[in-house]
Amino acid sequence: MLRIASRAVGFVWHVALRYFRSTRADAHIRVLSSLTAGGLAVGTAALVLALAALSGFQNHLLRDLALHTPALQVELGGRVDSATGGVGSAASIVDRVTAAEGVVAAQELLYARGWLVDRRGVAAVEVVGYEQAPPAWIPVEAAAVPGLIVPLQVAQRMGLTVGGSARVASPRSSLTPVGPRPRVRTLPVAAIYDAERAGYEDLPVLLPLEQAAALFAGGDRRLDLTLAPAADPEEVAADLRAAIAPAEGSVATWRQANRALLFVLRLEKGLVFSAVALIVAVAAFALLASLSLVLSSKRSEVGVLAAMGVPPARLRGIFLTLGVLLSVGGAGVGVLVGAGIALLLDSFRVLSLPSDVYIVDYVPFLVREEDLFVVAFSTILFTGAASLLSARKASRLDPVEAMRSART
Amino acid sequence: MIFVAGVTKAYRDGEARREVLRGVDLEVGRGETVAIVGPSGSGKSTLLNILGALDTPDAGTVRIDGVELSAARPAALAGFRNRSLGFVFQFHQLLPDFTALENVTMPGRIAGRSAASLVTEGLELLGQVGLRDRAGDFPQQLSGGERQRVAICRALMLEPPVLLADEPTGNLDATSGARVLELLNDLRQRRATTLVLVTHNPAVASRCGRTLLLDGGRLARHQAPGRPLNRQRR
Repeated sequence: MLRIASRAVGFVWHVALRYFRSTRADAHIRVLSSLTAGGLAVGTAALVLALAALSGFQNHLLRDLALHTPALQVELGGRVDSATGGVGSAASIVDRVTAAEGVVAAQELLYARGWLVDRRGVAAVEVVGYEQAPPAWIPVEAAAVPGLIVPLQVAQRMGLTVGGSARVASPRSSLTPVGPRPRVRTLPVAAIYDAERAGYEDLPVLLPLEQAAALFAGGDRRLDLTLAPAADPEEVAADLRAAIAPAEGSVATWRQANRALLFVLRLEKGLVFSAVALIVAVAAFALLASLSLVLSSKRSEVGVLAAMGVPPARLRGIFLTLGVLLSVGGAGVGVLVGAGIALLLDSFRVLSLPSDVYIVDYVPFLVREEDLFVVAFSTILFTGAASLLSARKASRLDPVEAMRSART
Repeated sequence: MIFVAGVTKAYRDGEARREVLRGVDLEVGRGETVAIVGPSGSGKSTLLNILGALDTPDAGTVRIDGVELSAARPAALAGFRNRSLGFVFQFHQLLPDFTALENVTMPGRIAGRSAASLVTEGLELLGQVGLRDRAGDFPQQLSGGERQRVAICRALMLEPPVLLADEPTGNLDATSGARVLELLNDLRQRRATTLVLVTHNPAVASRCGRTLLLDGGRLARHQAPGRPLNRQRR
């Protein structure tokens, strides 16, 4: 049975290869099949390059994001009290979180919006209250004295220096006998950090947690967790969800915390892919035209094959195989050329970008196996559909009519 | 061997409906040779195509070698054509992309037989028609008579019980036609193959055991055989 099946496949290849060879002899078919191969090569190369460029950019962005986002975080519920140490307090949650397998440390942070006030003016800033040391994603050594840790861009704009001081104002006011007064504290500038992230306008100003809590009571509080290198964030998150009540807080991995951004990145990639894939679709139409021309010139022969007992499925197989033979060369060359160009452009950083615009100063390219798979799969899909249309037409030919066409 | 009863076939010709076959009945025994003659457009080729499972009748029964053709599925019919029928067409219908030997062995390849044994048998067949040294030539390198000899070899490659020939000498000069007929007869006799042959040529028809006239959509006995292609078994 297996031998007969393999011989059936062998027969299909035998005929398809001979027809493929005959396409070289007919000028019209030769031109069309060359156009098909060229179109597929251009289309697949463009697809590989476009996806490599997007993957390159996204890789840099995600790496940067991962550096500045904890692997796992717990958004504390609004009713959790950080001051008390009872059940449901922040301290109690920290105890349970750090007891979980895979968690190395937990740091409580407070997020709020406020103003930095100086003689030169006012800057609206994101404020992060930190406990003990600044979070790992802020590139600064632990400050010698507790105080403000200010991003370089903000410090330069406001003329702040380490050792000086600045006032931090909260949008909340305090009620005093003479009426509401703004909450303002003057704090020493303990450190200035340069995250080398030009273009980020909301780099946070950090201050000790107790100061932040006093100024911004009611701000969003979060536990940033440090995980053991081998720990799987998803598994740890699942364990923590069992240990923490929903009212106490919600657990999110860095992917879940950034899911909107990740969704946009995926969407961007999908849209670019769809647009560039139109080139492959056009090439697939050229393939359809080539195969139709081959079928038209081989019409009587297909009729003879049917008369000799080639079943419709094998006639379909012959033209499907012919479609593969006509398209595989172009698509293969396109993938190789696209990947080669992407690797060269990335290695030699050929395309430069203004360094103050984006996180990298060149257009990065990253050729990923999964992108190549998607390109190959979509090319197979398009060319397969074109081949199938011709193949179906071949298998539905009336052998008598087809053979008659040879005489007319 | 071949049993045809009440076969009708009509074609649409614009608004008109043209009945080509009007209740054709035919019985052909194993090893018998039958010629079907008739004027142009009388439906000879249509009847042959129906016998060859290449066309379907509008009504009636066609049974060949015990197989009811109208009941078979397309894939089964394809297998039946491959195993049980050999075709010889007026215009040889060789595959131009394949050599003479490849054309001859094509039915065997379709049947899934091994290439090695097919080559041996194919060369032997080509040798029997004097074309062994032309085995590697493509059809366009052969003369009309040679092409038709190759086509006969192809039709007989799998030793089918039934051979259907549509004007096998219609496109050849008298000498080539006579040679092709001799070969057809010789090879057919060795295998006791049933032959149904459609022809315009009375001389060709006269060499069959029985000649039937297809006229007005019906078959009728035409004349006694002149110089039969073989001794009749019925």
